[in-house]
Amino acid sequence: MKNYPIWKSFTVVSLVLLGIIFAIPSIIYDENSENWFLKNKINLGLDLQGGSYLLLEVQLDVLYKEELDNFVDSVRLISRDQAVKIEKIDIQENEVVVFFGNKEKMKDIRDSFFQMYRGVTLQINNNKLSIKLNDEYRKIIQDSAIKQSLEIVRKRIDESGTKEPLIQRSGKKRILLQLPGVKDPERIKDLLGKTAKLTFHIVDNDNVSALQNNLAPFGKIIVPDMYDENTNYLLDKRAVVGGENLVDAKGSFDQTEGHAVSFRFDTEGAQKFGKVTTNNIGKNLAVVLDGVVITAPRISSAITGGSGIITGNFNAQEASDLAVLLRAGALPAPLEIVEERSVGAGLGADSIAAGQIAAIIGMVLVCIFMILIYGTFGALANVSLIVNLFIIISLLGTIGATLTLPGIAGIVLTIGMAVDANVLIFERIKEESLKQTKVFQIVKNGFDRAMSTILDANITTLIAAVLLFAFGSGPIRGFSITLSLGVMASMFTALMLTNFLVYMYLSFANKKELKL
Amino acid sequence: MFGLNKIIPVEPNINFLGLRRNFLIFSILAILISIGLLSIKGLNLGIDFKGGTLIEVSTKNTSIGELREILSSSYSDVSLQEFGNENIILIRLQNKSNQESIETVNSVKNLIQDKVVEFRRSEFVGPTISSELLFRGFQAVSFALIAILIYIWLRFEWQFGFGAVVALTHDVLFTLGLLSILNVEFSLATIAAILTIAGYSINDTVVIFDRVRENLRKYKKLELVDLFNLSVNNTLSRTIMTSLTTLLALVSLFIFGGEVIRPFALTMIIGVIIGTYSSVFIAVPTLLIFKFRPQEEDD
Repeated sequence: MKNYPIWKSFTVVSLVLLGIIFAIPSIIYDENSENWFLKNKINLGLDLQGGSYLLLEVQLDVLYKEELDNFVDSVRLISRDQAVKIEKIDIQENEVVVFFGNKEKMKDIRDSFFQMYRGVTLQINNNKLSIKLNDEYRKIIQDSAIKQSLEIVRKRIDESGTKEPLIQRSGKKRILLQLPGVKDPERIKDLLGKTAKLTFHIVDNDNVSALQNNLAPFGKIIVPDMYDENTNYLLDKRAVVGGENLVDAKGSFDQTEGHAVSFRFDTEGAQKFGKVTTNNIGKNLAVVLDGVVITAPRISSAITGGSGIITGNFNAQEASDLAVLLRAGALPAPLEIVEERSVGAGLGADSIAAGQIAAIIGMVLVCIFMILIYGTFGALANVSLIVNLFIIISLLGTIGATLTLPGIAGIVLTIGMAVDANVLIFERIKEESLKQTKVFQIVKNGFDRAMSTILDANITTLIAAVLLFAFGSGPIRGFSITLSLGVMASMFTALMLTNFLVYMYLSFANKKELKL
Repeated sequence: MFGLNKIIPVEPNINFLGLRRNFLIFSILAILISIGLLSIKGLNLGIDFKGGTLIEVSTKNTSIGELREILSSSYSDVSLQEFGNENIILIRLQNKSNQESIETVNSVKNLIQDKVVEFRRSEFVGPTISSELLFRGFQAVSFALIAILIYIWLRFEWQFGFGAVVALTHDVLFTLGLLSILNVEFSLATIAAILTIAGYSINDTVVIFDRVRENLRKYKKLELVDLFNLSVNNTLSRTIMTSLTTLLALVSLFIFGGEVIRPFALTMIIGVIIGTYSSVFIAVPTLLIFKFRPQEEDD
C-alpha cells in the first residue's frame, strides 16, 4: 500500500468498527434488556413508542386575584381593630384601593398591613390606601406556585402508576409532561384538571335571608352543591380543617352509602376536627372540594378519632381518583392544558415500520445510482454510506438521544445528502485525471481540492441544524439531531473511509491508469 | 472500470448565463405570484400554528360521511379527511378556548366510540401556544439565514454573500408559494423542511461559488460571463448528482415514509429542486452585478 500511513488505516478501521459495534444495541432493540451494553440503545420519542405529551399552564391570575381577596379580608380585620370605618373597597386588576371613613389612622393601618404582607407597595393618598401587587411580589407568588405545582403534579402522576414520566418546568409558568406508553391521557387529564382543594366548613343554617339574597355577610361564603346547582349553602368562610392535614385517603365501599373516600387526619387535624365536632353537635359540616359542596352531613356526635369518610354519588373510579388527589395534596392554582399530543402505540409502530422501509428503499436507490454512475468507486462510496448509517445509529444510542418521526426523516434525508461529499471528491478526481496520469497523485489531488468545498458546504447545513435545535421543540429537535449527526458522520466517512477504501482498492487492483 | 457518468460530458460547455434573462423573468414572476398567493390565499396552517384539535382514528364498518354526520350535529367547524387509506380518518376541529378544546377531545371520542377501532393520535394546541410556535419558527428561520450569511461573508467576499441571500430568499418565497398553491399543510415539520432547504440551497450555491473563486484566481483574463459559465459547467455533474441522490431518498420518504411525514417530504422535494435551480440560474448571475476584476487588480 503506497503512501498510506499505518496510523491512519488503524484509526479509520477502529472508528468504523466502533461505529458498527455500538449500533448493535439499537438494531437488536431489546426493550427490557438489563445488559449494560445492550442498554445503549436509541430512545424512541413519544411519537414512535406511543404516549402523551402535555403542556400545563399554572393559572397565576387566579392566585393574584386570591391574594387581592386576602388583602381585602386583612384590611377589614385591621380596620375593625383600629375602629375605622371603610367606605368603599375597589378591587382592580393589580391593586386594591380602600377608602376609609377618616384619615387619622391611615399610617397605623398601613403599618399593620405591611407587617402581614411585606413586599407589597402601599400608598396613602388622603383617606385612600392603595395596595399594589408589584412585580417582585408577583414573582414570589409565581415561583412558589410553580414549585408547589410541580411537586403535586409529580405525586399525582406517580400515584396514577405511569412508568418513567418526565415532569419539568418549562418557561415561566408552564409544566411539561411526557408520559411514555400512556394509552388513556383522559384519566391523567382528569387527575391534573382538579385543584383538589379540600376544606371542611360549618354550615350556617340560621341566616336564611343571606342565602335568599345571595349576599354573604362578612366572614361567610355561599357555596353551591356539587350535584344540584340550585342548592346553595351558607358556610363559615374560615375552614375548620383542610386537606393539608390529611395523612391518608383511600377509596372505600360502604353498605349504606355506596362508594366513598375514607380519610385520616394527622394529630393536628384530628384535634381540630375533634374540637369542632364536639362544639357543633347538631349543626351541619360541609365538605368542600374546589369550590363546591360534595356533602354536608349533620354532626350527630363528636368525632375524635381523626378519621372519617366522605360520601357522594361516586362510582368506584371516581372515589379512588378523589383519594389519589387528596393524598397528593392540593394544587396552589388550577392548571390549564395548553398543548396536548398523544400518539397510540399502533401509529407509533406504523411510523417506525414506514420509516424503516423508506430508509432501506432510499438507501438501495442511492446505492444503485452510485454504482451506475461511478462504477467501482460508487461501490466504495456505498460502503461509506452504509457505515455512515451505522455511525448515526450508534451515536444516537450512545449519547442517549431521542429518535422521533422527523428524526427518521432526517436519517433518510442524510442518506441522500451523505453521498454529496463522495460525489465532490469523485468529480475532482475525474477532473484531475484529465490533467495527469499518476494514479495516486490524481487521487491525492482530488481529495485535497474537494476538502475545502466539503467543509464549506457541510458547515452551512450544520448551522441550519443547530439553529433548528435551539429554536425547535420536541420532535423537530429530533430532526436536527439526526441531521447534524448525519452531516458530521458523512464528512468523516467521505474524507477518511472513502479515502482509505480508494487507496486500498487502487493498491490491490494495481491500477496503472484511472478513468472515472 | 464502468460507469455511466459519461452521460454528463466531462467538460460540458452549456451557456447557462446566456439564458439568464429568461430565467430571471421566470423567477421574478414566480416570486411575485408567490407573494400574491401568500397574501391573498395564505398558507394552509396546521394546528401547530392555528390552534385547534386533531384526532386520527382507525375505523370499522363506517364511512367518512357517517362520521361527518355524527360529528357535524355537535360541531359546526369540523372537517374530516381520509388519511392514507379509507379506514383511517383525520378529524380536525377549531376551538376558541383551551378549556373548550380539552372537553372537545373527550366528547368527540365519546360520540364516535363505537365506530372506532383505535384512537391513533390526538393533538391539541391552544391559541397561546400556536402563536408562540409561529413566532419561534419565524425566529429560527431568520436566525438561520443570518448565521449562514455571516458564514458566507467570512469565507468569501461580501458579493458572494449578496448572491447567496438573493438565491436563498428566492428559494424560501418560491417554496412557500408552491406550498400555498398545492395547499400543503404548514406545520412545525414544514419549518424544519424550510430550514433544511435553506441549508441545502446554500450548500449547492457554496460549491459553485467555491469554483468561481478558484477560477477567478486561475483565469485572470477570461470574461466574467464566460468564467461564471465555466464554473457552473465544472460543477454541473456534482450539482446534478447530489440533487438526484437527495431526491431519490426524499421520493422514497414521500412514497413509503407514511402519511404523517408526507407533507415534510413534499416540501423538501420542492425545495431541493428550486434550490438547485436557483444556485445555477439566480445565485451565479447575481454575481454579474459586481465587477470583480478591477478589485482583483487592486489587491
